[in-house]
Amino acid sequence: MSKRTMPRLLQSPAVVLLLVWMLIPLGMTLFFSFIRYVLNSLRRPEWTTPSIENWRGFGNYDFVLGNKDFLLAVQNSLLIVCSILFLTVILGVLIAVLINKAFPGRGIVRVLLISPFFVMPAVNAVLWINMILDPVLGLQGIAVDGINALIRDLQNLPVLGAFFGLWPELSPISFRATQTSAYAVIIMVTWQWTPFAVLIFMTSLQSEDQQQKEAAILDGAGAWSQFRFLTLPHLGRPIAIVVMIQAIFHLSLYAEIEIVSRGNGNKNLPYLIGEFANNNIGAASATGIFAVILANIVAIFLLRMIGKTLME
Amino acid sequence: MAIVAQSSRTGRISRATLAWIVALLFFFPIFWMVLTSFKTDADAVKPQYLLFFTPTLDNYLNMTDNYDYWRFARNSVITSVFATAFALAVGIPCAYAMAFNPSRHTKDVLMWMLSTKMLPAAAVLYPMTYITKSVGLFDTHFMVIVVLMLINLPIVIWMLFTYFKEIPREIIEAAQMDGVSTWGEIREILIPLAWGGIVSTALLCFIFCWNEAYWTVRLTTTEAATLSKLIEGNRAPEGLFFGRLSAVSAAAVGPIIVLGWFCQKQLVQGLTFGAVK
Repeated sequence: MSKRTMPRLLQSPAVVLLLVWMLIPLGMTLFFSFIRYVLNSLRRPEWTTPSIENWRGFGNYDFVLGNKDFLLAVQNSLLIVCSILFLTVILGVLIAVLINKAFPGRGIVRVLLISPFFVMPAVNAVLWINMILDPVLGLQGIAVDGINALIRDLQNLPVLGAFFGLWPELSPISFRATQTSAYAVIIMVTWQWTPFAVLIFMTSLQSEDQQQKEAAILDGAGAWSQFRFLTLPHLGRPIAIVVMIQAIFHLSLYAEIEIVSRGNGNKNLPYLIGEFANNNIGAASATGIFAVILANIVAIFLLRMIGKTLME
Repeated sequence: MAIVAQSSRTGRISRATLAWIVALLFFFPIFWMVLTSFKTDADAVKPQYLLFFTPTLDNYLNMTDNYDYWRFARNSVITSVFATAFALAVGIPCAYAMAFNPSRHTKDVLMWMLSTKMLPAAAVLYPMTYITKSVGLFDTHFMVIVVLMLINLPIVIWMLFTYFKEIPREIIEAAQMDGVSTWGEIREILIPLAWGGIVSTALLCFIFCWNEAYWTVRLTTTEAATLSKLIEGNRAPEGLFFGRLSAVSAAAVGPIIVLGWFCQKQLVQGLTFGAVK
């Protein structure tokens, strides 16, 4: 056996498996996106079998682009992903800097902070939407009731009561509603992924050049300018990586959306694909191809960045 | 000078306090879930029993009656364990060859493997449903195991590759000189030397399999349904069952959170594909 055969043989199972996994389903999606294909049709039963006879060209793409749900889903995907990215990066940097220096109980703080990341998405969504955000029975409802009761009590005070009489009665927000369900998803995913950002920024901060920092302190640099001119540039690369990895994960958010609102006013692309796939496979596949394109735009940048450090 | 020391001391104390507050806030929802799991369903929605209540274990004791918890848990364990084992079985030889006999294409192959991870699952939802249904594997452990293994294989290979690269090449080359077979090299030298790395890769892969919530929900109905599917199916209890739902949720995530504590460091390497060290 030649020197190169063995390594190839060892790699082949993994390569073949991943090749099949990628090419066959994606190839089918591509094919279905160009034909008329529905699961149930009394009027056109010939459309219920996938066949080249039912060629539709870019018709499914036209249909999807003209569908108002598609535009909403893209907007909503972007709103959710961008908000989560913004919040997790800001919170992540702040918390990582906060716990970078040693203090009593730092180990426990780390353990507490990282925990949300390991909660399964389905539990995360059920926990937040019911036990915390529910407007009546959740903590939100209980807190709002409590504050309202407190204000009512304060209104009975002599003199000061008149002042508290000006305060409005608070009303809880229903996070299952059309306009607000996206915010519930943003809150719960931010809670889950901020620990991830913290962990990565913290790892990166540990390799920060301490001598440079000491030199800056001797030169009279304040805490803010140390942060602004040393720490933040040092975190540039990890921030880029956190942004891209999260973008890829969050573009395919599904369980949270399903649990919070069953897509009520709050569809993202994966959810819309799932809905189309209940009957119109052609449209589901065309939407799928759009999702692939969107993910690829992010993936190309990420892969380039990872590729640079790969063979070091 | 004394003033500087003084202010930096209060600074330190306030930083530590703030760090603790932030950590407790982040942990609070988990704490709340566990606390609620010890309340009866009736008590769980009454504000007067918010913090002080008579704790009960009923929610945990009745998990089988209420939700058939153990069947779902068994499915989660079976699918996650086998998916992890297969991913390692395929991944170890592959990462070994890549780390010790790299060719011009190794880098491209690794990048391509990663790119399969970035394919949005939803895009291939229908073809996967179609394939699994037409070969009669819909809602079977086997299918869930295969899918879980495939979606985690790139991360497994990637992590193993970064661990294997740290082993000095001379050790492997010396063994090759001595005429040890490839299988012998992997079993006698590679696995013992990289044991720590292999274990953390396995743990992380197991966690990802356990928490997966797209394919396990879409490709199963009852037979192979995992805990994700169980929780997803009880999404809106309307406050009636907060106690029992908390118990089943806490049971589903508890072991994984504890496992996660042990592989924080590896998580960074595994999730950033070695780009942050």
